[in-house]
Amino acid sequence: MVPFKFYTSSLLVEITGRRAEDLPSFLRILREIDASSIFYHVHHAFREYSFAPGQYSNDFARWVSEELEETPLAEKLASVNIKEVTDLETLRQALIAIVEKYLAESPNNRKALPGREFYFLRNTGIVIPTKYEAKTIEEFALALRQVGMRSIYYHFFDARLRLGHKTNDFSNWIRSNFNDEALAARIEALDPYFMTLDQLRDRIISFCLPRKKGNFIMNIISRLIKIS
Amino acid sequence: MKININDYAQVTRRQNLDELLLLAERLRGRTVKMVNSTSVGGGVAEMLHRTVPLYNELGLKVKWDVIKGGGDFFNITKAFHNALHGTKVEITREMFDSFLETNAQNEKEMVFDDDFVVIHDPQPLPLIAKKKEGNAKWIWRCHIDTANPDPVLWEFLKQFIARYDASIYSSPSFAKELPIAQYLIYPAIDPFADKNRELTRSEIDAVLRKYSIPTDKPIVTQVSRFDYLKDPIGVYEAYKLVKRHADCRFVYAGGTASDDPESNKVLAELQERVGNDPNFHILLLPPFADLEVNALQRASTIVLQKSLREGFGLTVTEALWKSKPVVATAVGGIPLQVIHNLTGLLAHSVEGVAYQIRYLLNNPAAAERLGKYGHEHVREKFLITRKMRNYLLMFIALQHQGEPIISL
Repeated sequence: MVPFKFYTSSLLVEITGRRAEDLPSFLRILREIDASSIFYHVHHAFREYSFAPGQYSNDFARWVSEELEETPLAEKLASVNIKEVTDLETLRQALIAIVEKYLAESPNNRKALPGREFYFLRNTGIVIPTKYEAKTIEEFALALRQVGMRSIYYHFFDARLRLGHKTNDFSNWIRSNFNDEALAARIEALDPYFMTLDQLRDRIISFCLPRKKGNFIMNIISRLIKIS
Repeated sequence: MKININDYAQVTRRQNLDELLLLAERLRGRTVKMVNSTSVGGGVAEMLHRTVPLYNELGLKVKWDVIKGGGDFFNITKAFHNALHGTKVEITREMFDSFLETNAQNEKEMVFDDDFVVIHDPQPLPLIAKKKEGNAKWIWRCHIDTANPDPVLWEFLKQFIARYDASIYSSPSFAKELPIAQYLIYPAIDPFADKNRELTRSEIDAVLRKYSIPTDKPIVTQVSRFDYLKDPIGVYEAYKLVKRHADCRFVYAGGTASDDPESNKVLAELQERVGNDPNFHILLLPPFADLEVNALQRASTIVLQKSLREGFGLTVTEALWKSKPVVATAVGGIPLQVIHNLTGLLAHSVEGVAYQIRYLLNNPAAAERLGKYGHEHVREKFLITRKMRNYLLMFIALQHQGEPIISL
């Protein structure tokens, strides 16, 4: 049995110096910019504690909607199925195809106001092991309650690109160490793009701990936290 | 009251603080020198006073040095500051020479044997000449809005900036095409500073008494300098529109800066427009009126920021932190903070501002919900601990330059 070791990942955000003022310039930069910039704009909103799951989560969709007021395009960009995408070039091509098609159909569109252009950013990821480790599913669920949001993000979202297939570190570990296919698949089936990391955490914990026992253990933990 | 790093567990998530400690562990014993041009006054000095002890508590060894200069030097750097903001200022060869001369004198007196050197703002930029004497990574922290700088001045400063290992900006629009890494670190507030700490009811009441503001009606406040870009006249126009429908008081509170002759003119114009309207209060605050600002924001039913242009808009951050419903124009860094209908309300005109204020005055439950989310938003994104975390990440990244993912 290999223990599950929790890591945490942080982003240092870098300004690329490239900016788009309208859809043609946006498309041009989208073709050229390094893939890490695309990854950043599509994913970073999921990393942090978010209390607004209804909002467009990717920066491209938000800019197109708010600054260019091209809502149909924004909806299309927001709906790219990033859960299915396991490499960034495929993601780039999917985004390019959407913008190209839209531009062909509606060539007259506005420019962003000065100061409200789209600024392409990218990031450096810094990954550090935390002190949390689990040898059983129960320990795993308890640790999940303790780790920060960035750990959950790292093991759930980052993992797919790292592992190159449609899973996450949690399901991967459960499958290979406990042979619990049902639990692994249940966690995999979660749609993390429409819940906050808090909700995601709670769901996974509830899957791991049978209800009664789970409540009992969680009560003890929350009491201990209050006392300390 | 001395604030320790663990005190921040009261205001931020425990896990976020744990992660800050985890990052700091990787930098334990590293030496950092911060350099700026003043130890008192101004946002940079204020922030360094608070962060330097906290970094040291986290295990880094951080020192803070201030460069010396005469009145001439600071007149020149003030002109540079304005020119970087895009104001038309005459910049002469003599100014460049004098700027370099003062920096050369400072160079002679300063020793740089640290792991990291962070130079704040343009005043000490030429100290980069000392880089060759050690192995430090040099970072330039630009606190200024450099979106539209004077081109001649920018070319002059660029020769120094380009020799740094990295630079930091508060907004993506401030960055330029440079051969060095340009990091984005948003400004932040300290929840324990006098401007933001919790106040007792009697502390708030004392300030209201001092400025003769009755609490008989809802209060709508804008805290800003007397500056056309903060649109004080627009605030008054909005007040008139609101007043037709709802009984309330407006407060416009600001200081005039001695280095800004225009502010007196703006103040006089506003006073003339307002006349002796008992429900529109114009407050001229003294310098260092942090506690007063805090009390006025906390006493407000709604906080307004009707700027025509804005840097990041820290007054908005302060109001959101105090769980106040905010109505603000969508300029500068404000839309990052005010997500329309979630953490506050955005408007684009006098009419829009008045409309949203009327809405909030009539819907206290909606106002409360916005305030609550606004507070959460600041807690996650715009507190000093997040900013310190960004700095630690940058130090780590500079030790691993060229690696897109750093696994420690």
